[in-house]
Amino acid sequence: MILCCFALFCLLAGAWKRVPVYDRFVEGAREGIQTAVRILPALLVMLSCIKAMEESGLTAALCGFLQPLTDKMGVPEDLVPLMVLRPLSGSASLAMLKEVMETHGPDSRIALLAGAMMGSSETVFYTLSVYLASAGVKKGRHILPCALTACLAGYVGAFLFCP
Amino acid sequence: MLQVLTGGMLGGALLFALVTGRGEAVFSGLLAGAQGAVETAVGLMGSFGIFCGLMNILSASGAVEWLNKRLKKPLKKLLGDVREEALSYVTLNLSANMLGLGNAATPAGLEAAKRLADGERASNALCMFLVINASSVQLLPSTVVALRTAMGAQNPGAVILPGLLSTCLSTLTGILMCKWMEKKA
Repeated sequence: MILCCFALFCLLAGAWKRVPVYDRFVEGAREGIQTAVRILPALLVMLSCIKAMEESGLTAALCGFLQPLTDKMGVPEDLVPLMVLRPLSGSASLAMLKEVMETHGPDSRIALLAGAMMGSSETVFYTLSVYLASAGVKKGRHILPCALTACLAGYVGAFLFCP
Repeated sequence: MLQVLTGGMLGGALLFALVTGRGEAVFSGLLAGAQGAVETAVGLMGSFGIFCGLMNILSASGAVEWLNKRLKKPLKKLLGDVREEALSYVTLNLSANMLGLGNAATPAGLEAAKRLADGERASNALCMFLVINASSVQLLPSTVVALRTAMGAQNPGAVILPGLLSTCLSTLTGILMCKWMEKKA
């Protein structure tokens, strides 16, 4: 429903501003396809490692180890890897999101939660290091704590706002 | 960081498999993961294609400029006393970010960061800008929606509203905390 309205809105905006809709659509689609290809190698490595960990039994062992802790915090243990990896790497967290969707089904509440967490946060460490390095700044002061707290607030928000 | 992570994950898996005698399974797991990644990427090609296509129509219709105008005043208040030029790069970066146009956002953001930096110590304005930037203000989480579509969700758009609310909460928290730390310093 929202997506349908969004697509219609894009078309109407394009028509209203007399944008060559077909050309822009094709141009954007090309970019989108390139993005998918660009992230494939990193995604491939990440997903392979995750699957290898599962097959070796290491994942189950780690989960058993972490379970008392996650139970105490009330966080589903399948979400923990995603929450930890999200600020570190886009492709690793995308791989985790896919894993959650695969194990619980893409329409489950936990997949929705994972999606909202993913969508509400950014690869904090990567983004900050790129920007600070290019600006030649060595002392980041309170940037990192604030950005990480914001990320955490996004996670809390996902729990609050997912039906 | 990623080197350690990958090394730890894969090395740990291989060692654990050798100890528990699951060497064969672990390698087929590796291959299965790779195959899954290729299948996901093919699915993503389709849904990314549609989303980026639609977004491109929107940005060609002047969506970035429209957002730019509306963001300027509130940002001026948040960042305090900054030059007009720096402010325009900040708004350009954040508007492009909100629409999920990463290609347009990054160069503008780098320019903004350069202009806001005050020597080797981050200025208050730079802190605020980067906190807002790193707390993600995407209006449409297109990657998540695309993945949900590629995985065959009944309602891929269900994530949009909770995602939007949580990203607002996240950005708001970041801004408030940044202001608080600014005053404390």
